[in-house]
Amino acid sequence: MKKLLLVMIFFLFSFAVYSFDADMAKKEGQVNLYANITAIEPLMEKFTADTGIKGIYTRISTSKYLATVLTEYSAGKLQADVVQGPMPILQILKDKGVLKKYDKSYLKDYPDWAKSDDYIAAFGIEYVAIIYNKELVKGDDIPKKYEDLTDPKWKNKIVMPDPASHATTISWLVGLKENNIFGSNEAWMDFLKKLAANKPMFVKSFSPTPAPIESGEKLLGISMPKYIITKAPAPLDWAKTDTLLGSPRGIALVEKSSRPNAAELFFKYWLSASNMQMLADKVGEYVLAKGVFPPINGIEKAKVLPIRELSDEEIKKWGAEFKKIFYN
Amino acid sequence: MFRRNLTLTLIIIVGFLTICPVFMLLWGSFLKDLGTFSGFTFEKYILAYTDPEFLGIVKNTVLFVVGSAFFATVLAIFLSYMNTRTNIPFKFLFKVISIIPMMIPHILFAVSWVLLLNPSNGILNTLLMNMFNLSDTPINIYSLSGMIFVEGLLDLPIAYLIIAPAMSAFDISLEESSKVCGASDIKTFFRITLPVLRPAIMASFILVVVRSLASFAVPSVIGMPGRIYVLSTHIYRVIASGFSADYGMAAAIGMSALVASVILIYIYRYLTSETSRFVTISSRGFKPSVVNLKSSKYPLFFIVAFISFLLIIVPVIVLIYTSLTPYIMAPSMRAVPMMSLKNWIEVLKDPISLLSLKNSLFLGVFGATIGVILSVFVSYVIVKVKTKSAGLLESLSFLSFSFPGIVIGVGFMWFFVKTPLYGTIWALLIGYIATYLPYGIRPLSSAFIQIHDSLEESSKVCGASYFTTLKKIIIPLLIPGIVSSWILMSTMFFRELTLSVVLSRPGSEVLAVQILRFSEDGLWGRLSALGIIMIFCSSLIVVIVSLIGKKLSKAHV
Repeated sequence: MKKLLLVMIFFLFSFAVYSFDADMAKKEGQVNLYANITAIEPLMEKFTADTGIKGIYTRISTSKYLATVLTEYSAGKLQADVVQGPMPILQILKDKGVLKKYDKSYLKDYPDWAKSDDYIAAFGIEYVAIIYNKELVKGDDIPKKYEDLTDPKWKNKIVMPDPASHATTISWLVGLKENNIFGSNEAWMDFLKKLAANKPMFVKSFSPTPAPIESGEKLLGISMPKYIITKAPAPLDWAKTDTLLGSPRGIALVEKSSRPNAAELFFKYWLSASNMQMLADKVGEYVLAKGVFPPINGIEKAKVLPIRELSDEEIKKWGAEFKKIFYN
Repeated sequence: MFRRNLTLTLIIIVGFLTICPVFMLLWGSFLKDLGTFSGFTFEKYILAYTDPEFLGIVKNTVLFVVGSAFFATVLAIFLSYMNTRTNIPFKFLFKVISIIPMMIPHILFAVSWVLLLNPSNGILNTLLMNMFNLSDTPINIYSLSGMIFVEGLLDLPIAYLIIAPAMSAFDISLEESSKVCGASDIKTFFRITLPVLRPAIMASFILVVVRSLASFAVPSVIGMPGRIYVLSTHIYRVIASGFSADYGMAAAIGMSALVASVILIYIYRYLTSETSRFVTISSRGFKPSVVNLKSSKYPLFFIVAFISFLLIIVPVIVLIYTSLTPYIMAPSMRAVPMMSLKNWIEVLKDPISLLSLKNSLFLGVFGATIGVILSVFVSYVIVKVKTKSAGLLESLSFLSFSFPGIVIGVGFMWFFVKTPLYGTIWALLIGYIATYLPYGIRPLSSAFIQIHDSLEESSKVCGASYFTTLKKIIIPLLIPGIVSSWILMSTMFFRELTLSVVLSRPGSEVLAVQILRFSEDGLWGRLSALGIIMIFCSSLIVVIVSLIGKKLSKAHV
């Protein structure tokens, strides 16, 4: 009897924590998403049309994310109801008590690792690949593996984010080592040194990487396959390597949201298969919902793996190492 | 008594506007953790200034800012002289052209030059290769000289709008005396015109130095690919390396830019302290003379036209071309069938782009008006009240302006979040005025320096109050300076990015933030279309204000 009572209390408590009232959500009228993911305006519009609740998208770049959220939070003026960002940032927000637990049943069709955290749900991978100009790189010249980037014929023809400062690129390069893409640490180091010898052009992040490739200023680069969708009809394609790596993308609810019901409704909606399909179709994102892929030729055959989240100390340490290699 | 009260009031207003964000940053630079505001430490300063790379970055920065300031100022002197003092044809057109870079979003201008002069397939480089049968592209924009060239062009309007009003308010008797003594036009220009214009030239040089110190677009779009780092990109690397951006460390590095700017302002004040030497409008009456270019009229016209075409028109043509193509592609016949108005339609249908335009127009017109009113009083005190408090006021006006843009925005955020203005368009308005006050003050100070105290004294003798003197005597003579200040502030507010990207929220979006969004999404076509709309609106405002200024000047002469 006692056990039954405990189970009932637990059930009621869980219901109280996770449930939301759809009518209350409508009364709350709007939901504010702070996100570093780009080009999601069509998704927000669809949410508004489907639910009658206004979806507000506040875009915040990675470098200003924590400064903005923590400043607002400490002043009691956090305007976000839901936050989306890189996992290490969400992890810091969780440690500072900004986030709230979520209902894992929303992630029924997601891999286990995506719902391993009680506060942060992983819904996608910021996947990185070799992207090339398909009008200028053809046939046998198209890279088939990462090592192909080290061929001297690509000297001064590659673009990539700065490996000494861009956190996601640093994590990706370390991810290549930790996922043993080259078979050994020596081979990984050899790859880095030969890539550096090809004098890639550095830009500040992934966003400026496709422009020089599509204009023909550079022929190929370390970039993101999602640009094949968002920049269509630009002549971009991806080198079909077996394994692609990327940082997991996460989403979480805000603990002290002034619109908790609308936030919960949005969170559930965001993780739904139909929304994930739209994210894949319109934004080219690699999502974790089962069987959903972006409409990019051959992407469903690639093994897309999440990389380990590096701490800031590790990023700084590896950034300094890569600076020695790439800036010589 | 009145002057003392005015000085004190302005110190309080300007101090409040500029000290608050800078103080927040200074405080943050001595604290261990972001957001916690606890744990005093010097660690950030020690780490920042013992970095072995720092010396190289300082060297690059000095070359970059001095080079840009020199290039912008020399070009501005040439264009101002041609436009205000000679009988060169199509003057008004050249005036608009020399301030066009002010209206172009800096990131777009830099990208245009990359498309023209990148060493792989830059349009002008390819043209030069084909013309002269070269084996390799002759120019590499990804170099320090490339950075100086583009930054100098971007800062040309600042220099022009400071030098041109001073040049137009020139006392004919000085030059006539020179000519009577047998000096040629060229000799008169170098021996009389330039020395008398020293305050304006120095003001322009210093303002461009300070502005290029804080510049980020050119160092990131042109410097980073060329692996040339200056202070602002070094700060960006500090912020970007890691997810928990260390704004305290960034502020510690930014303090060196602040100190450099304050020193420059004091040097400037010292060198122009004897303002009476530079007075050109006195109670004797003035009328700027026009130099007859005679036979060199048309050759010089073609030189100015060619410079304007190459430096200003070509990048704008690149923008128009990009706005019509579906993605960034080198110009060729293949591009022609792919051209359409799709990007323009998308932008004009986009509610956020339209809201941004509305907000930017409000900030550009209303904000600049408030800014200029404040600038008139501040400039008056700086130039005419020669006390230590006036010097303090001038330094205060430069405080937030001197801080690298990517850091000062965070300082403002830390400040505004403690007020009810956070997240509103009013926070942007106050932030803009506080940061860009020197744009209003510099042209007005140059103009004030040239107005002799005897004019004010005569008014006082006739029983007029300070406000009546200001309204009836000083302001009418200041009209060219007021117009320049207004244009500088308005065009700056219209395309402001660094503060806006931190302070704008849904509902208070502005054009530059929307442009940044398009750039982050790689939507260069839409970005160019919105950029052209921005240039068009700014140009229209500039033309209207210039015409009003011209009419008012004529009415008072």
